[in-house]
Amino acid sequence: MKKSRYLLLLVAMLALALLVAGCGGAKETPKAAGGDTIKIGFLGGLTGGHAHYGIETLKGMQMAVDDINSAGGVNGKKLEIVEGDHGSNSSEAANVTQKLITQKVSAIVGDPTTGITKSAAQICQPAKMVLLSAGAVGPGVVEIGDYIYRDTLLDAVAAPAVTKYLAEELKWEKVALVTTTGLSYSEGLTGIFKPALAKYGMEIVAEQSIMEKDTNFSAQVTSLRQKQFDGVIFTGYYTEGALFMKEMRKQGLNQVMAGGDGLLGKELYELGENAVQGSMVYAGFAVDSQTAAGKTKEFIEKYKAGNNNALPDMFPAQGYDAVMLLADAMKVANSNDPTVYKDKLAQTKDWKGVTGTITFDEKREPIKSPVYLQEVKGQEFVVKSVISIDK
Amino acid sequence: MEAIISLLTNPYYIQVVTMMGIFLIAALGLHLITGVTGQFSFGHAAFLSIGAYCSALMSIHLHTPFILNMLAGGLMAALWGVILGFPSLRLTGDYLGITTLGFGEIVRVVFINMKITGGAGGLAGIPRETNILLVYIVVALSIWGIYRIQNSRFGRALVAIREDEIAAESMGINPLLYKIKGFALGTFFAGVSGALFAHLMQYLNPADFGFARSFEILNYVVLGGLGSIPGAILGTAVLSLAPEFLRFVKEYRMMIYGALMVLMMIFRPYGLLGGVDFVQLYKRLKSRRKAGPTLPGNMP
Amino acid sequence: MMMRCEILTLALGRSRLILIFYRYSCSKCFYDSCRPGGALKAIGGRCMFWQQFWQQLVNGVTLGSTYALIALGYTMVYGIIQLINFAHGEVYMIGAFTGLIMVTVYKVNFIIAILAAMLVCVPLAILMERIAYRPLRKSTRLAPLISALGVSIFLQTLVTLIKGGPNPLAFPQVIQDTVYVLGPVRFSTVQVLILVMASLLMVFLQFTVKYTKIGKAMRATSEDYEAASLMGINVNRVVSFTFAVGAALAGAGGVLVGMYFNSIHPFMGVSVGLKAFCAAVLGGIGSIPGAMLGGIFLGIAEVMGVAAGFDTYKEAIAFGLLIIVLLFKPTGLLGLPIQRKV
Repeated sequence: MKKSRYLLLLVAMLALALLVAGCGGAKETPKAAGGDTIKIGFLGGLTGGHAHYGIETLKGMQMAVDDINSAGGVNGKKLEIVEGDHGSNSSEAANVTQKLITQKVSAIVGDPTTGITKSAAQICQPAKMVLLSAGAVGPGVVEIGDYIYRDTLLDAVAAPAVTKYLAEELKWEKVALVTTTGLSYSEGLTGIFKPALAKYGMEIVAEQSIMEKDTNFSAQVTSLRQKQFDGVIFTGYYTEGALFMKEMRKQGLNQVMAGGDGLLGKELYELGENAVQGSMVYAGFAVDSQTAAGKTKEFIEKYKAGNNNALPDMFPAQGYDAVMLLADAMKVANSNDPTVYKDKLAQTKDWKGVTGTITFDEKREPIKSPVYLQEVKGQEFVVKSVISIDK
Repeated sequence: MEAIISLLTNPYYIQVVTMMGIFLIAALGLHLITGVTGQFSFGHAAFLSIGAYCSALMSIHLHTPFILNMLAGGLMAALWGVILGFPSLRLTGDYLGITTLGFGEIVRVVFINMKITGGAGGLAGIPRETNILLVYIVVALSIWGIYRIQNSRFGRALVAIREDEIAAESMGINPLLYKIKGFALGTFFAGVSGALFAHLMQYLNPADFGFARSFEILNYVVLGGLGSIPGAILGTAVLSLAPEFLRFVKEYRMMIYGALMVLMMIFRPYGLLGGVDFVQLYKRLKSRRKAGPTLPGNMP
Repeated sequence: MMMRCEILTLALGRSRLILIFYRYSCSKCFYDSCRPGGALKAIGGRCMFWQQFWQQLVNGVTLGSTYALIALGYTMVYGIIQLINFAHGEVYMIGAFTGLIMVTVYKVNFIIAILAAMLVCVPLAILMERIAYRPLRKSTRLAPLISALGVSIFLQTLVTLIKGGPNPLAFPQVIQDTVYVLGPVRFSTVQVLILVMASLLMVFLQFTVKYTKIGKAMRATSEDYEAASLMGINVNRVVSFTFAVGAALAGAGGVLVGMYFNSIHPFMGVSVGLKAFCAAVLGGIGSIPGAMLGGIFLGIAEVMGVAAGFDTYKEAIAFGLLIIVLLFKPTGLLGLPIQRKV
C-alpha cells in the first residue's frame, strides 16, 4: 500500500517535472532570439510517413540560409531556421504551426504535402503569417487567403505545355490514358490532361485504371493490345509506372509513356530497367548536369558536396527557392513583417531561382517556367526538351 | 505574474491544451466502453471521424448553429455505434476488438471514396467554431455526465458485466442491451469530440482517423489507469503532451515514445492510476484506516 | 433475351465476379455478348474472362500464401498466451530489410537471403518476448497489447532512422523472371517460388507441431497453460520457441514479398500485419490450418475484389469479409466455439 502510493507520487512528480520542463523550454526560445535575426519556420515531417519530403526540403532551406548569411543576410539581419517537425501527423501539425507563430518567425516554409498545408493555412491566414509551401500541388491551397503561397510547378500549367510538345514535336495522335484510381494526385492530373489532349487534337483510344500498390497489370495491358496508339499518358506514381511498362514489354507492346513528376524517382528506372527506356517525365527541376546552368548548376554542385555526391530531387530545390523568394521579398519591402512584405511577394515577377522562373499570377498561383521534359536513358533522367511557358 | 499571463495567452499553449481537451472527451467515451463496461474497442477513431464529418458537412452545407451540429455529430456517431454494436457486441474480448478495428478501417476507406467528403484530398472550408472555453465546458459536462452514469444503477450494471458477465446475467441484467447502451454512449462522446476537432482544425482528412489514432486514444485510457476517470484525464494529459515535450529529442522522439509505452506497462501494468480510487483514498485519509487498495479483479 | 443480356452486362460493367454466376444462368446470351459488337468487347470476351479468372486465382493464392506465412505467427502466439502480438508485422518488415541488405550489399543468392532474414528475426522476436511481454503475462489483457504497440512504434522508427527516411526502397530482381504458361495461366518465377517456399514452410511447421517433442509441448501449452507447466513442460521455453518459429516464417515472408512487390519501406508491416492478423482470426485464431486457410481465402478475396471493380475499396475488403464471417461463425472458420464457463 505504502509502496504504491510512493510510486504514484513519483509518477505525479515526474509528470509535473515534464510539464515544467516543457513550458520552461518553450519560454526561453523567444528570449534568446532577440531582434537581430530573422527567423524562418520550417513546417514538415522529419519523422513519420512523409519524412523524406521534410528532410530534403529542410536541407535545401538550410543551404539557402547559409548562402544568404554568407552574403550578409537580409536587411542587415541574419536568417535562422526554426524547425517544426510534426511527425507527418496533421493534428500535431496544427500545434507545430501555432508554436512557430508564437516563436515569432517571419515566415513559415512548408508543408511539402497539400493536406497539411491546407490545415496549416487555416491557422496562418488569421494569424497574418506568410506560409509558403514548397511542395503542395493540389487544388484549394492559395484560395485560403492572401498569406498563403506556394512555389511548385502546377500540373495545370505544365501538363498542357507537355501535351502540346507531344502533339507538335513528337506527332502523337492517339494515346492510351492510365489513371491510378483513389489517388487524388492521379485523378487530378487525368482531369487536366483530358481537355489538353482534346485541345491539341489527340484522341484517347483507351482509358485504363489501376490501383496504387497494385503489381499485376496484365488485365489492363491485355486490353490495350487490341488498340493502336502512339504512347501512354500515365498519371500515377513511379512504382506502378515501372511495373506497368514492364508488363507492356512482356506482352510485346513497345510504346513509351509520358507522365508528371509523380513518375520522377530513381525507382522508375531501377524497377523498370529496359522497359522504361525513352519514357518521359516532366518536372520543374532537372538535375541533368549538362544542361543545368548558372544558379541551378551551383545548387546541384553544392548539394552533391554536402550529401556524398547524391543528386538532389525537387524537394531541396523547392525548399531553397522558397527561402530565397522570401528573402528577396523582404529585401524589396525592407521589412520582415509578414503584413508588409507579403504584398511584395505577391508581385513577384520573372524571379529566377534554381527551379526556373517564378511569377505569381493575379490569383497568387505560381506560373513556373520552364518545364523540363526528361527522358529515361540508361540509369538516369536526361533532359529531352526545355519547354518554356508563356504567361 | 507577467509570465503567467503570457503563458495563458500564448496561442501555442492554447492550441495544445484545446487539442488535449478534445481528445479527453473521446478518451472519456472510450473509458465508458473499455474501462467501465470492459469491452474492447480498437476503432474509436472511426466514431470521431463520423462525428467530425457529419458536423462539418452540416456546418458547410446547412449553416446550422454549431451546438446543433456538434450534437448531431455525436448522435450520428452513437447511431453507428448501435449499428455496429448490435451484431458485434455478441462477440467477446479480442474478437470484438478486431471487429471494431475492421469497422474503423472500413469507415476510413468509405470516407476516402465518398464525393461529399472530398475523398483523399480532404474536406476544407469548415468554419472555426471551437475555442478553449467551449471545449472545457464540454469536458466538464462530460466528466460530470460520465461520473453520474458510472455511479447510477445503469453504471453499476455495466461494471457488473465487466466483472462477470454470467453472474450479471443471472442477476437479471441483459448484457447485450446494456453493452449496446454503453457503447452508444461512449461513441456519442467520440462524435462530439470529432465535431470539436473538425471545427478547430477547419480541415479534415480521412488519414487522420486511422487505427493509429484509435490506439492512441486507447493508450490514453489504459496508461492512465483503466476504469478510473482521473486515470483517463491523467493519461490523456501526459500522452497528448508527451510528443510536444519530447520535441527536443527530434528524430528519436517516436522511438522514445514507443519505449516509454513498453516501460510504463511493465512498471505500472494497471496504468498510472490503476486501482486508485480517489473517493476511497479521500475517505481513508479522513478516517486513517489502513487497508490495501482493491485492484479490480477481472479487468480486461 | 439478347436485349436483357446486353443491359445486364452493361450494368455489371467490370464486375467479373458476378459474371461467373451470370454465365451459368445464361450461357447462351453471354456468348452472344462476346461477339464483335457485344457489350463485353471492352473487357475481351468470354475466353478472356476465364483466362482472367484463373490468372486472378493464381495471383490471389500467391498473395494469400504470404498472408498465411505471417498469420501463422499471430495464430501460434495467440494460441499459447492469448496475446495479439501487434509487433509481428514489424518482424516481417525487418525480415524484408535484412533480405534487401543481403542481396544488395553481400550479393548473395536469394535462398541465403531468406535464411539470413530468418536468422535475424528469430533472436529479435525472442528478445521482444523477454523484454516486453514476459513481465506482463500475468497482468491485464490490455497491458501486453499496449506494450506490443510500443514495440511496434519503436521498431518502425528505428528502421526509419537507420535507413534515413521512410521512402520505399527498390528490391532488386534477384532471380531471372521467366514466365511459365500453363493452360490459360501465366506464372512468374517469383510466384512459383513463393508458392513452393510457403508450402514447404507450412508442411515443415505442421510436421514440427505434430511429431516433435517441442511441438507436443506447444500443443499442450496452448491446451492448458497451467496444466502444461505442472506436467514438467518448461512453458517459458515453449513460448520463446513459438515466437521464434513465428518470426522465422515472417522473416521468410518478408523477403518473398520484397521479391514479389519489388519495393519495401519501414511502415510496410502495418497494413500487411493487420491483414495477416485478420486472416488468422478469419481462419480461427489459435488454429494453424485455420491461419493457412484464412490467409489464402483473404488473398483470393482481395484479388478478386479488385478484379471485380472494387479496387478503391481494396483495403476494406479484408475487414469487411472478417466482420461478415465473425457474425456467422464468431470464432472464425476453423475455430472451436468458445465455452462459457459458469
